[in-house]
Amino acid sequence: MKRSGRDMTHPGFEAQLDAYLDGELAAGDAHELEAHIAQCPECARFRDGRLELRAAISARTPAFQAPDALRERVRAALRTETRGRAPRRLGWQGVWRPLALAASLVVVALGSWNLALERAAGRALADDVLASHIRSLMPGHLTDVLSSDQHTVKPWFNGRLDFSPPVYDFAAQGYPLLGGRLDYVDGRTVAALAYGRRKHLINVFLWPVARRPSGAPTTRDRQGYHLLHWTTTDYTYWVVSDLGREELHDFARLVQQVDSPQPAAR
Amino acid sequence: MDSSALTRFEAAVLPHLDAAYTLARYLTRNAHDAEDVVQDACLRALKYFDSFRGEEGTSARAWLLAIVRNTAYTWRRRRGGAALATEFDETQHSPVEVDDRPDKELLARALDRLAPEFREVIVLREIEGLSYKEIGDVAGVPVGTVMSRLSRARARLQEALRETERP
Repeated sequence: MKRSGRDMTHPGFEAQLDAYLDGELAAGDAHELEAHIAQCPECARFRDGRLELRAAISARTPAFQAPDALRERVRAALRTETRGRAPRRLGWQGVWRPLALAASLVVVALGSWNLALERAAGRALADDVLASHIRSLMPGHLTDVLSSDQHTVKPWFNGRLDFSPPVYDFAAQGYPLLGGRLDYVDGRTVAALAYGRRKHLINVFLWPVARRPSGAPTTRDRQGYHLLHWTTTDYTYWVVSDLGREELHDFARLVQQVDSPQPAAR
Repeated sequence: MDSSALTRFEAAVLPHLDAAYTLARYLTRNAHDAEDVVQDACLRALKYFDSFRGEEGTSARAWLLAIVRNTAYTWRRRRGGAALATEFDETQHSPVEVDDRPDKELLARALDRLAPEFREVIVLREIEGLSYKEIGDVAGVPVGTVMSRLSRARARLQEALRETERP
C-alpha cells in the first residue's frame, strides 16, 4: 500500500485501518495493510493509539445488565399484550410521564376473599393485579375518563359495569383523584380508579363481592411494589404501589373509611 | 397471538434484553428512560415479530437493537428539540456519582457527549460486539457509512481523552 504521510491521516485511510483492526477488512487488503504498518512508524502509532482506546473503552464503559424489575415488567407487559386486553386509550401522556417516572400506587378490588385465602390462587391474583398495574403505567393506559371530579368519574361507569363503584376524591389528604377506567382482572371487568400522590400514581380497580369483610389489609411485596388486599362487605380491594408502605396504608385507610359502612379496621 | 407464539418470541428476544438495555442506556443516558424505551421496544418487537421471522440474514439481537434504537430516537423527538440541542452541553447532565477512578468518568462522559449517530456505532461495536453489517442493519445505513462513522467516533474519543489529559 503506497501512501504518503499526508494521505495516512486522511479519514478514508484511518477508516481502512480501523476496519482492519476490527477484522472487517478482506484478507488481501489486510495483508497489504499489515505489510505497510510494519514499515511505517506513523501508521504503527495510529494503530497503537486505537488499541489503547479500545482497551480503555472495554475497561471503563460498562455493558449494563437489565434490572430484574425491568425483565419482569417486560414479561408482564408481553403477557398482557398477548392476552389481547386493550382498554380504551385517552390522551393522558402529557401528565402521565412525570407521574409514571416516579412510579405508582394501585388500589385493586377483585376476586373473592375465599380465593385470596388460598395461597396459590392469591399469588396468581397478585400477579394479575401487578400486570394490570404495570400496564396502566404505559402511556395512554391510565385513564378512560380523565377527571378529578368524583361526580364525573362515578357516572361514567354507569352502563359500563354491572355495579356502581364508590368514587371519592382524596385531594384534601394529598391523594387527588386523576380519573377512572375499565380493566380486566381475574376473568372479569373491574373498575379502576387512578389517584396521584406527589409524583406517584394511584390506580383503583374494584368490583363487588358479597363476602365477609376482612378488616386490616394483608400485605405482599413483589418486584419492588407493595400489594395491599382487603375486603369490605361489598367490595374486594388490592392496593399495589412502590410508594412507602406507611403512606400506602394511610391511603388504604382513607379508602376504607369512606367506602365501608364499617369503621376502619386500623 | 397464542401462547406458543409468545414463548417463541420470548425465547428469541429476552436473551438480548441486556444488550437492549445497554444500548438504551447509552442512547438515553438515563436509567429510567432506558427502561421505558426497552419495554416499549419489546412491545413493538412483539407486534412485528412475524415480519422478523420472514426475514433472512438478520440476527434476533440486531433486529431487537434496531427497534430499541428507533424507539429511543422516537423518545428523543417526543421530548422535543431539547434533548438534541443539549447534546454537547455538559451542564445539562445530571451530576454523576463520584467515582474513585476519575478517568472512568472522563471516557464515559466523552462517549455521552458524542452525537448519537457516533455514540451508537461505538456502543454497538465496542460494547455489543456487532459486525459492521449488523451495525448497518441496526442503524439503517450502508456498511461504508458504518466504517467512516466508527473511525470518526474513535478519533473524537481520542481527542477528548487527549484534551482531558492535559494539565
